[in-house]
Amino acid sequence: MPRTSRSAVKKQTKRGKPAGDSHSRRPADSLPASAQTPAQLLDFYYYLKLNRMVEERLSALYRQGKVQGGLYSSKGQEGISVGSAFALAPQDVLAPMIRNLGAMLVRGVKPVEFFLQYMQKEGSPCKGRDTSLHFGGIDRGFVPPISHLGTLIPVLSGVALAGRMLGKNLVALTYIGDGATSTGDFHEGLALASVKRLPLVVIIENNRWAYSTPVAAQSLLSDLADKARAYGIPQGVVDGNDVLAVHEATARAVDLARRGQGPVLLEAKTMRMRGHSEHDDASYVPEEEKQFWEKRDPILLYEKHLLSSEAASQADLSRIESECAARIDADLAIAEAAGGPRPESCVEDVYAPTQGAVERPGEETLRLVRRS
Amino acid sequence: MGEAITYLEAIRQGLWEEMERDDRVFMLGEDIGVYGGAFKVTKGFLEKFGQDRIIDTPIAESGIVGAAIGASLMGMRPVAEMQFIDFIACAFNQITNFAAKSRWRYGAGVPIVIRGPSGGGVRGGPFHSQNPEMYYVHTPGLKVVAPGTTYDAKGLIKAAIRDEDPVIYLEHKYLYRLPRIKEVLPEEDYIVPIGKAALRREGRDISLITYGAMQLHCMDAAASLEKEGISAEVLDLRTLLPLDADAIEATTRKTGKVLIVHEDTRTGGIAGEITALINERAFEYLDGPVRRITSPDAPVPYSAPLEDYFLPNATKVLQAARELLSY
Amino acid sequence: MKVEVIMPQMGESIQEGTVVKWLKKPGEKVKRDEPILEISTDKVDAEIPSPAAGVLSEIKIGEGKTVEIKTVLGTIDTEGQAGAAASGPAETGSSASAGPASDSGGPTPGEDAEKRAAKPAAASPRSPEPARPVASAAPKPSALPGTLEERIRTRSSPLVRRMAKEANVDIATLQGSGISGRVTKNDFLSHVQGAGPRATASSPAPASAPAIAFKPGERTKVEPLAVMRRKISEHMVASKRTSAHVHSFFEVDYTAVDRIRREKKEAFLERHGVKLTYLPFILQATVEALKAFPVMNASVDGDNLIYKKDINLGVAVALDWGLIVPVIKNAEERNLAGLAKATVDLAERARVKKLLPEEVQGGTFTITNPGVFGSLFGTPIINQPQLAILGVGTIEKRLKVLDEAIAIRTMGYLSIGFDHRIIDGAVADQFMSLVKKTLESFDPRLV
Repeated sequence: MPRTSRSAVKKQTKRGKPAGDSHSRRPADSLPASAQTPAQLLDFYYYLKLNRMVEERLSALYRQGKVQGGLYSSKGQEGISVGSAFALAPQDVLAPMIRNLGAMLVRGVKPVEFFLQYMQKEGSPCKGRDTSLHFGGIDRGFVPPISHLGTLIPVLSGVALAGRMLGKNLVALTYIGDGATSTGDFHEGLALASVKRLPLVVIIENNRWAYSTPVAAQSLLSDLADKARAYGIPQGVVDGNDVLAVHEATARAVDLARRGQGPVLLEAKTMRMRGHSEHDDASYVPEEEKQFWEKRDPILLYEKHLLSSEAASQADLSRIESECAARIDADLAIAEAAGGPRPESCVEDVYAPTQGAVERPGEETLRLVRRS
Repeated sequence: MGEAITYLEAIRQGLWEEMERDDRVFMLGEDIGVYGGAFKVTKGFLEKFGQDRIIDTPIAESGIVGAAIGASLMGMRPVAEMQFIDFIACAFNQITNFAAKSRWRYGAGVPIVIRGPSGGGVRGGPFHSQNPEMYYVHTPGLKVVAPGTTYDAKGLIKAAIRDEDPVIYLEHKYLYRLPRIKEVLPEEDYIVPIGKAALRREGRDISLITYGAMQLHCMDAAASLEKEGISAEVLDLRTLLPLDADAIEATTRKTGKVLIVHEDTRTGGIAGEITALINERAFEYLDGPVRRITSPDAPVPYSAPLEDYFLPNATKVLQAARELLSY
Repeated sequence: MKVEVIMPQMGESIQEGTVVKWLKKPGEKVKRDEPILEISTDKVDAEIPSPAAGVLSEIKIGEGKTVEIKTVLGTIDTEGQAGAAASGPAETGSSASAGPASDSGGPTPGEDAEKRAAKPAAASPRSPEPARPVASAAPKPSALPGTLEERIRTRSSPLVRRMAKEANVDIATLQGSGISGRVTKNDFLSHVQGAGPRATASSPAPASAPAIAFKPGERTKVEPLAVMRRKISEHMVASKRTSAHVHSFFEVDYTAVDRIRREKKEAFLERHGVKLTYLPFILQATVEALKAFPVMNASVDGDNLIYKKDINLGVAVALDWGLIVPVIKNAEERNLAGLAKATVDLAERARVKKLLPEEVQGGTFTITNPGVFGSLFGTPIINQPQLAILGVGTIEKRLKVLDEAIAIRTMGYLSIGFDHRIIDGAVADQFMSLVKKTLESFDPRLV
């Protein structure tokens, strides 16, 4: 499969109008990559901005002591989350990692859920039990991650396998960091998925840093997508900071997978613009590198593209930013007003409420052995 | 029917019947399809159920278990085989961190079964003879079962498949084809409930609490004791997580003297947990200390003289029982 | 509204942070999320955005100070006007302090002094001398014996210890067949079933039957009835003719009462001068039940039922020459000690014929004690004009099944004779049920 770098997008000559209520935007059904409507172009912008602004607000809340524990940012990588999530069909399953908050927003998670979760409130999706983005059920098309990296690859392989057995024509998509491609599960999952030709798409978000470990210390390869060769599967490389290019590349990968030619390994090149987590100031990242990538901020690039192609006006962009701000304020108010979870609930739900196996009526539970 | 079958055949039947009963059930593991499984547990399954439901995998235990988890999230009922249960260690992370915690943390049940042959007595050496139950008994969210009879082997594999939570099903390779425990099984569908122990023998003077292959040694010891006029009770736990605390308490109250016998090694073995439980629930009924017979704290050795020294047997059980009775 | 600015936890293991620089002064306006101060921690330096819009009204922790996480650093007044500041920094300087800052405002010196003055008084309130702990009255457990064999022999096992305690048997006095001579469960059970002295409700020495002096050659001896005997004879028959006698029997577990008795008997004797027997417990329980079922304390006159406010308990006393029933007037006003003392006093004076007439009149309910001579239970005759009578059977140790295990308990029967003209079985049985329950769960604090 030929490598895709920056894809050209048909220029839009008319200004786009937003489709429908901005609070209930739906992601595009799987259209050919280049045929975004004006409304969809603005939808991309809405989710990019919402992604950025929700995380900025969470960062402020963290430094106001209202969010505790760990907080991870996807600043600079929003294009990957948003662009890829738009390429999925409604029946597809997405497994986000901690820097894919934008993908969860695109697929229907509301900011209030993140606020409840991070602020450890009553009504939070994990009931105060697990942290950050570790929520979202299969009924909403998610498999939430655990903290151990790489584990999602075998699990999503299983999802893809089951989807095929159930005749659902679904594609399973997940992300993995450059660092996590070193794990055993990355390998085992792709080994299994490849020989079974499972409809799986794995997007390597190569943001150049795994905590303080640069990617060059993770692998000798320049393109991590080359690991696909070990499994004999299709691969691709895309500019992760170009949301439209990501969308197009993902759509092609998803299509290949759906047609039985997967799994597909897609590498999105990008840069982690903040520390590993909120408490890490990333002072180990060379200054030049930071500055280079600041100029390539995905939202900045996309704004320039929208304005120069006249797909949107400055007023449109401002309006969308205000919508995001209003949405965040409203959702945060709900979360702040919520109470805390019941402490004793921490020991509930470890097991299913009823036994899966039902005893036959009259079954003896204490039975003496029979000798033959 | 009418014919007595082996423990292995009982597992096979249980799997087969569940595959027929429920389309969502499928199996994955190494060499289970074309080869019929290293111990031939799945012989004939591929021909009957097809390669969509009997899946031969690469050597990737973590991948196998992870895929089972993902499939179960989609509503399927996978049964993942570990060719020897010793290799379950490769999937430890997926089992304890993904499968065990999903329901608790975000409400998604993971109804998978992980099964494989455990235990020694076949000169298999340290990597083909392990009893790894306690790593998993220590993990809330899992269930762990260890059938010791042919009847239970079939009933428990069915119960495990039907259970809504992840179940580790520990078969004992020594029991697979042992003629002594062949049984004629009921024609009709039955399950053995998870979490319930079984009294193999009723008695008044001493309680032998055990599971797996060891319950044979306990039954032999009990038969010898009977000739001496001593009435021993044998309680087969069958499920290790959750433990049947009521049954343990009841037998302790009844006899006042308890000897726990397990093939697993001593430190961190379930005898410690049971002793603590008895302490909590039935201390005032003890007419002597709770004792245990286990393997020593070492890996399972390979050669016959070493392994015979290592493993518990009826003689060791009998001796410990007599000591406890004379307390 | 005042909103606090707090020191955040910048990382999972961080416990404190240092205020590096305040970016706003007190009285200055701030916008929400606008950077308001800079902090430094082990892991990272960070700008802290303001949690609210308003005016920075107060800085509590000055630059250079290191405080624990969650410490309040300052306050934002959301309704404040620019320029208005509540107070300057409470503490400045470079000395590190680890404690959390005081509440805004803090206690005034006057309040402080009051609080300090209040303390000593609170620390030593006048309270009554606590009652001597009961444990000191109980027999002390012997110090742990030295060798393992000795311990095994004298302390056996939890099961045997428990059974021995309930039976009030010292393990060390028994023969054991277990290791080191340990008394096993079977050893103990054999011992108990073999022996077994019976405890009794009260223990007057049983009167020995006087020998009859037959004249030589006589086969019979005629003895005119004594006055008292004639009266008793008439009374008994009349009672039988008057009341529709029905009897019901209850078994009571006195183990709890026995335990209380053993624990408290020495202190009781010392304090009240009388022995603590079972009888006062039974009297007390009866009084409680009579309050709940007043018909048992009533009498009949023609077509009228007469309820009595006073509970005058007659306690039958066996005398050498017959039976007499002295009455404890207003038993409902007496506590257990009072009942004990009254019983003993009346019985003693009855034996020496020093009872006053009113002390044998006016009873509303009678208690008799066939058990004192070993009877399991009696069918006593109602003391007219009362409607019921309680018979106390012998109290002894019996084997009982409790919670699926064998236990040794102190048991005894109580019988209720009642007049079925007025009282139905259900009422009588409920009355007795309450007596039983009261005895079985007797509150030790009532002694």
